[in-house]
Amino acid sequence: MRGGARPRTVRQGVRRPAAFGVRRFGVLQLADRPRRPGMPWVVLLASLLVFLLAACGNDPYPATDAKAKVLYGSFVDAPKSLDPATAYSAREHAITGAIYDTLLEYHFLKRPLELIPGLAVALPEVTELGDGRSRYRFELRPDLLFHDDPCFELSAPGSRTREITSSDFAFALARIADPKVGSPVIEPFSHIEDFQAFGQRLAARRKSDAAFAALPIHEQYRLVGPITGVGTSSPGILEITLARPYPQIKYWFAMEFSAPIPWEAIAWYDGLEGRPRFDDHPVGSGPFQLTRYDKRAIFVLEKSANWYGVRHPEWRAPGAVYPSEGEERDRAAGRLAHAGRPLPMIDRIEMRREREDIPRFNKFMQGYYDSSGIAAENFDSVIQNGRLSPEMKARGVALDKEVSPTIFFLAFNMNDPVVGKGADSAAQDRNRKLRQAMSLTIDSVEFLRIFSNGRGVPAQSPIPPNIYGYDPSYRNPYRQPDLARARALLVEAGYANGIDPATGESLRLTFDSYNTTTAGLIQHQFYTNTWKKLGLDVRIEAVSYNQFQDKLRNGAHQVFEFGWGADYPDPENFLFLFWSEMRNSTTGGPNYANFSDARFDDLFLAMKVMENGPERMDRIREMLAILEHERPWIELMVREDYLLHHGWLANVKPSGLSIPTYQYVDIDVERRAALRLEWNEPIVWPLYLVVLGFVLVVIPGIRTYLKERQ
Amino acid sequence: MGAYVLRRLGYGVGVMMGVLFLLFVMFFAVTDPDDIARKALGEKVPPAVIEQWKTNHGYDRPLWPWQDLDDNLLFDHYRRMLTFDFGLSDADDSPIIERIREGMGPSLSLTVPLLVLGLLVSIPLSLLVAFFRETYIDRMGVFLCVLAMSVSTLLYIIGAQFLIGKMLRWFPISGFDSDLMLLPRFLALPLLVGIVSGIGSDVRFYRTAFIEESSRDFVRTARAKGASEVRIMTRHVLRNALIPILTQVVLAIPFLFTGSLLLESFFGIPGLGGVMVDAIQSNDFSTLRTMVFIGSLLFVIGQIATDLSYGLVDPRVRFK
Repeated sequence: MRGGARPRTVRQGVRRPAAFGVRRFGVLQLADRPRRPGMPWVVLLASLLVFLLAACGNDPYPATDAKAKVLYGSFVDAPKSLDPATAYSAREHAITGAIYDTLLEYHFLKRPLELIPGLAVALPEVTELGDGRSRYRFELRPDLLFHDDPCFELSAPGSRTREITSSDFAFALARIADPKVGSPVIEPFSHIEDFQAFGQRLAARRKSDAAFAALPIHEQYRLVGPITGVGTSSPGILEITLARPYPQIKYWFAMEFSAPIPWEAIAWYDGLEGRPRFDDHPVGSGPFQLTRYDKRAIFVLEKSANWYGVRHPEWRAPGAVYPSEGEERDRAAGRLAHAGRPLPMIDRIEMRREREDIPRFNKFMQGYYDSSGIAAENFDSVIQNGRLSPEMKARGVALDKEVSPTIFFLAFNMNDPVVGKGADSAAQDRNRKLRQAMSLTIDSVEFLRIFSNGRGVPAQSPIPPNIYGYDPSYRNPYRQPDLARARALLVEAGYANGIDPATGESLRLTFDSYNTTTAGLIQHQFYTNTWKKLGLDVRIEAVSYNQFQDKLRNGAHQVFEFGWGADYPDPENFLFLFWSEMRNSTTGGPNYANFSDARFDDLFLAMKVMENGPERMDRIREMLAILEHERPWIELMVREDYLLHHGWLANVKPSGLSIPTYQYVDIDVERRAALRLEWNEPIVWPLYLVVLGFVLVVIPGIRTYLKERQ
Repeated sequence: MGAYVLRRLGYGVGVMMGVLFLLFVMFFAVTDPDDIARKALGEKVPPAVIEQWKTNHGYDRPLWPWQDLDDNLLFDHYRRMLTFDFGLSDADDSPIIERIREGMGPSLSLTVPLLVLGLLVSIPLSLLVAFFRETYIDRMGVFLCVLAMSVSTLLYIIGAQFLIGKMLRWFPISGFDSDLMLLPRFLALPLLVGIVSGIGSDVRFYRTAFIEESSRDFVRTARAKGASEVRIMTRHVLRNALIPILTQVVLAIPFLFTGSLLLESFFGIPGLGGVMVDAIQSNDFSTLRTMVFIGSLLFVIGQIATDLSYGLVDPRVRFK
């Protein structure tokens, strides 16, 4: 029987003859196909069609938002915690800073940064009480409200918010003192009278009394408290008494750590019975309220109707209207054009997670992100000769450069017998000269050129720009590369040509780092190759972070790299890295170089409690002179942030600190919508190439098929 | 059959016990809880906070049973993992089970269509090249497959983002939205990349299976009986080549849950692949060991399911 003549059953059970009367094996029989597709195929095709229709278009946002005042941005790393008592990184402050308002805040435009009143009516009155004690008196603005939240049902059924009182600030401070919360900023707040003792009382009571430990947190605080240094005699007055001088405390009242927290939020958002944890569900009083939070994908902040700036624009409070004063460059950049306008100027902020630089930057170029950093891959196409490329200028993109108070440095372990302080005066002199010689060889300018596209400022001292005590004219004599002088110093140290007289070979040192990436290794080689010019044999020991920490703790490090970012704009926050009391080897503090100098300590303690002025400046200069001579650090660079933003985004000015300033920005939504359309016209010629390639591959295939059929 | 299943399950339990012990040694005995705490809390925290953090996470207890039989980390580790009580993330104190639950949806929304569409594309293509074996179509097909296999997935991703997202502007370059109206827009490009990047190896694998089956006696018999070539390929060859296909598919199923590291990372999909990457980057050891445990568990289950499924697709297979 010839195959083609035999009737067969197709899928639907229809018996039909084959179309071709004669067949050969190996020939595709078109007639074997069912004439009508079966139902599953129809469903599949229809689903695919619906999917493709829904998928078409590269706009990642709903069409309804095209002309909404929404600020679109991105973030790289998921925030860890939105609890203001524990959130301590820039990525967390980018959210908490918009949600939690503080007693004080920073002027948006003035540099150096200047404090202005926020939730407080004015800057605090300071009263000296004698014996080094002082009292800071804050008067709260009236009629301050928390964001709307169901947790307030706990205090008043049916209520969605309540008024903020001084007790809410006291509660926030008690949480910082509470060891169970694990706040990283216990130390600075410990200057408050009874602060640490409160934490100890709390821990002891919890340990000894199980019933007490089971009580709600605010009840525990009430029973053990109050902290005597935190006065709440009136709902509108907060008095902070310091047991010892610490003028920097005012900066901590401009950070979210001290923002008011409603006890109801802590009691309600406990992570039980389907409720989120307070870490993930902030309840604040700032200009924006968190309305959507998927920490690994997106967060959405919306303008809060409860913010005092929105409810009482007539107050013209400094933190609630756009400033009319700033730097000269602000006027030139048009940043004073909105002077006097009530804040915030945008309605919503949407931040989406973008782990990778390339898609993030491409979406910025399509207009779907309003601002962006510059990825290393794109740097040369964006910046040419330190300025924006013509292509970027033609698009109306603006570039903001801001030197961040974050310093990177190489350091010596001053406990080490070879590079450290030294046991006797001869050893001290020898080791110091070795450190000076090594400092003289590292070229920060070259480092910045090679590794950071020239972004950054060569550091001359531990104090970065925009911090009091920074002197732009200061040139550290040991930070000007001078190989001849370095070699001479090595000869004086007894290491002529880098030879260790004890072994007759090159002096061997170790360079410790926790950066084990290839990029890190190349940077390390930059240092070691430079020191090789002196004849020194510096071996790289890049280990895991944990092993590096072990080395620091055990004092098993010699030369290492590190960085430090400012918590607040005061030199104390940098110079305490050399204070003996902060030595890592003895106290576990952040003085990883284990530097100790009695004169430096005296100067530091005196400088710490001084207000900015000539006397303080003199102390700082003397301290820097000690560091210049002793060389516990080789100051490398100060970070410089480059921020790109589109022309439709107004009032962008980074502060250098991790303080979000969303309420000040404005968006020209009409311009944005028009430019997005213009920039997203498809470029189809690559498609023709793909189709051509496909045709070239398929045509011989069709010929083969036809040949086989014959 | 019953004895076979029990024996396979027994092996699986043994393997999982070993995996748990290895995990414990790697994550507790080799790494000091102090280091975990310091990494989680940052550089500036005082020692007292580290101690409190260790207490909150239960890392302040002795490691081994001989140090404290009633309260030690080893027994606690086994108890927690085997009861799926994974505890809190070292990085952000969030419950790990919640992170897994949240990440599973986005991962499955990508990986399930990827598996189904991948099969729908690669099996017909494999049948086509197998059908036209030793012709231009077969040779070009194999050449393109080898070419496709040789290209890095990263290049597919960046190329597709450039060509389709940046130039043709058909789909967004990256992003994710659980809104059903927006979801297809974000999934289209990663799906396309996933299918194209996997097509080379799949088609080669399936082609080999089909060619092997098409030289069998039953195929000759079917032809002799006058069955059409399409029928032979789709009914006889495809059905008899199902065992290797099934092996691959069943083994792939567990990995649907663990997500795709690269695709999720580059397309901004907040799935379980991203949870893993985050955990690695942030030294979140508790999440890492949970993900490794879940991956191993799913793999073992997949292996057992594969073995059992042979009998379903091929009646000749008998379990002893």
